[in-house]
Amino acid sequence: MRKVSIILGLILAVLAVILAVLPLYKLSFIPAALAFVFGVIAFLKSKKEQQSTHVIQVVFLLTIIALALAGYKSIFSVKEVGDTKELQQLERLRKDEAKEELDDLIIID
Amino acid sequence: MKFKLTLLIALIAFSFSNGQDNKAFNAGEKLTFAASYNMSGILTDVAEVKMETSEMRTSSSTLMHLKCTATTYSDFDSYFKIRDLYESYVNPRTITPYLYNREINEGGYYKYVKYKYNHKTNLVESLIRKKTSKSKTGYWDQNNTVKINSNARDIVATIYKIRTLDIHKAPIGASDSFTVLFDNKMTKTSFKLLGKETINTALGKKECYKLAINVAGNNLLKGNNANLLWLTADQNKVPVYAKFKIAVGSGELKLKSATGLRN
Repeated sequence: MRKVSIILGLILAVLAVILAVLPLYKLSFIPAALAFVFGVIAFLKSKKEQQSTHVIQVVFLLTIIALALAGYKSIFSVKEVGDTKELQQLERLRKDEAKEELDDLIIID
Repeated sequence: MKFKLTLLIALIAFSFSNGQDNKAFNAGEKLTFAASYNMSGILTDVAEVKMETSEMRTSSSTLMHLKCTATTYSDFDSYFKIRDLYESYVNPRTITPYLYNREINEGGYYKYVKYKYNHKTNLVESLIRKKTSKSKTGYWDQNNTVKINSNARDIVATIYKIRTLDIHKAPIGASDSFTVLFDNKMTKTSFKLLGKETINTALGKKECYKLAINVAGNNLLKGNNANLLWLTADQNKVPVYAKFKIAVGSGELKLKSATGLRN
């Protein structure tokens, strides 16, 4: 049980850090919360069995990093559209082409 | 007797053409949406979608230009950049399309589709352009002529056409179907009125028509009645919210701002 909790906690904590770095950072809250739960289970088991808690500390550290990063991004990042110059140029080009193609069109309803 | 019959036919023709008239939007309307990905209730804004209408005058007629663009937010650009353009040039009264352009740039994938409609012969001149390293120009063109139904429209014209329907006259549970020309194939798309709902929107608290969208033979959109569209229950019938189910999680489109509304 202790080993399984440590392994799962470690995997989930690493996943949380990866997600926190990516633009889908909000999703990192789920693995981070699960990693924390497995970390606590592993910590309690280790205390009971009087075994080392070094790896569990890594799980907590990674979880804290992921939560801090995702929390910071959630509060301070502003959603804005990137560079759309090319798209605007394309829109103008297509409009000019359309005007030329539809010039001889006569609408009959 | 003959006069009465002529009068009756004229009346029916008039009421039919009146039902087809566009009273929902004018040139100069601009709707901005935020597209989000929803997984386990956690929403992540992914892209901005704009729907704009404008007038285009040619030497012989005045058309309405319907333009939809999708642009990813800057933090997604380095991972999966999207710059999509969908546009249709339509009859401002009946929303009958004459020219359609679809130019997509999605994470390095490029495709350009152009349809030029000929409503007299029910034919569409289609051009599909893709990128290739085999040709000198860097592009590979495929020209085709597609036979269409008389009421077939492209995706942009269909979205706007729905807004011109007399939904207030339809009973709950009523459905209507459209033929959408997409990738040179005609797809049957049906809309079912599920009822009215009052939801919070960028335009305030609004009573809306809740419509379920069903695309025949589509593998991308999943579930039954899981693809929903909310249109304001007024004359403008502004699309304020849309929800669609995909393989993992679901997507949402929420209205952020609306300007130039007709009514």
